[in-house]
Amino acid sequence: MNSPNQLKDITRFLLEYANRLMGSGVHTSRVIRNTRRIGKSLDVDVKMSLFQKTMVMSVCDNESQEVYNEVTIIPAFPISFELNSELSALSWDACDNHLSLDALWEKYKYIISRPKMDPLCVLFLVGFANASFCALFGGDWTARIIVFSATLIGFYTKQAMQKRKINHYIIFVVSAFIASLTASSALTLNTTAEIAIATSVLYLVPGVPLLNGVIDIVEGHVLTGCTRLIQALLLVLCISVGLACTLMLISNSLL
Amino acid sequence: MIAIDILTDAFFAAIAAIGFGAISDPPLRAFPSIALLSAIGHSLRFCLMTYLGVDIATASLCASFAIGMGSLVLGKHIYCPMTVLYIPALLPMIPGMYAYKIVFSLIMFMQNMKVPELQQKYLIDVFTNSIVTCSVIFMLAVGATFPLFLFIKRAFSLTRHKKI
Repeated sequence: MNSPNQLKDITRFLLEYANRLMGSGVHTSRVIRNTRRIGKSLDVDVKMSLFQKTMVMSVCDNESQEVYNEVTIIPAFPISFELNSELSALSWDACDNHLSLDALWEKYKYIISRPKMDPLCVLFLVGFANASFCALFGGDWTARIIVFSATLIGFYTKQAMQKRKINHYIIFVVSAFIASLTASSALTLNTTAEIAIATSVLYLVPGVPLLNGVIDIVEGHVLTGCTRLIQALLLVLCISVGLACTLMLISNSLL
Repeated sequence: MIAIDILTDAFFAAIAAIGFGAISDPPLRAFPSIALLSAIGHSLRFCLMTYLGVDIATASLCASFAIGMGSLVLGKHIYCPMTVLYIPALLPMIPGMYAYKIVFSLIMFMQNMKVPELQQKYLIDVFTNSIVTCSVIFMLAVGATFPLFLFIKRAFSLTRHKKI
């Protein structure tokens, strides 16, 4: 049996855990499942209600039937699949080995403090990815090289702006504009220019929220699913605005 | 010739999946599986569409179902949840080209206000491309999630280290 203070401590941990999962782009049903699993190993029953920006959690002690309830605000973390898999593994660890709350905090802090991938490495990987995307859509080698450099410039702008914590809608508009403008240099060469321009902005497409949104809707969390889809659509709209600016500038030479 | 076409398609899809996946920071041990799944999925869609004449939505459904099943099998070996493997693998199949054409036709629609014939053409383009984009994204997500409903117990315990 947990005392009221222990119950509060448990809730604080579960809130932090669920917050981190929700913020780093894990689909809703997994967040709920993992949190309940940890709760079960600590002998409490967890019920939660999730929205995009806030979360309500009520933790009930199985023996004394005492309930502790708290609302929290979900911060925005960068999407991280690594956290997704490591924190899921932590929940099974807790379930199988009945870890104490202190041990859970220690492991949790270790997991979230791990170093991330080097931004420079990501930059080049994204460049190659977008160039091969161009190849998949039938661009020739000149177009691929142009897309590669356009992506490098565009993605670098995005990273630099993200560091300064500029509003992400502005980031998307500006980097889509810069990438497509760079790619429009393909018009001067004898190559598949339209494919180059079209693929140069594809690295920005928010694929993770789009897929997560549909997964949420299919699994019955329609509200969070729709929120994710709408947010993703807004980002796609921003990409189109950036791309549209370029197309307006060059539309005469494109036709 | 056909084999080379399929292999290049698979190769480029694998690179694209690794690169786009890297934006979302997956665990390092997941990269080989992501590349493999994406190569299988994308080349399967390529084959279905080019050689069997299947439409893009159905082909995407088949490919994403294959990716979903693959992530269920591979996930157990490297202790990764299904979504960590299949979302990056699906990213190269998101129909960006059609999304681009929506924007392009919208702009051309607005710029040809005085020419009704061209406007009709671009309006149809907007609709066609939006329908394709939406249905393909929906099919991708549903196809990859489907194995989760079929093998619910295994899918939920992929990150469990203890043998049951």
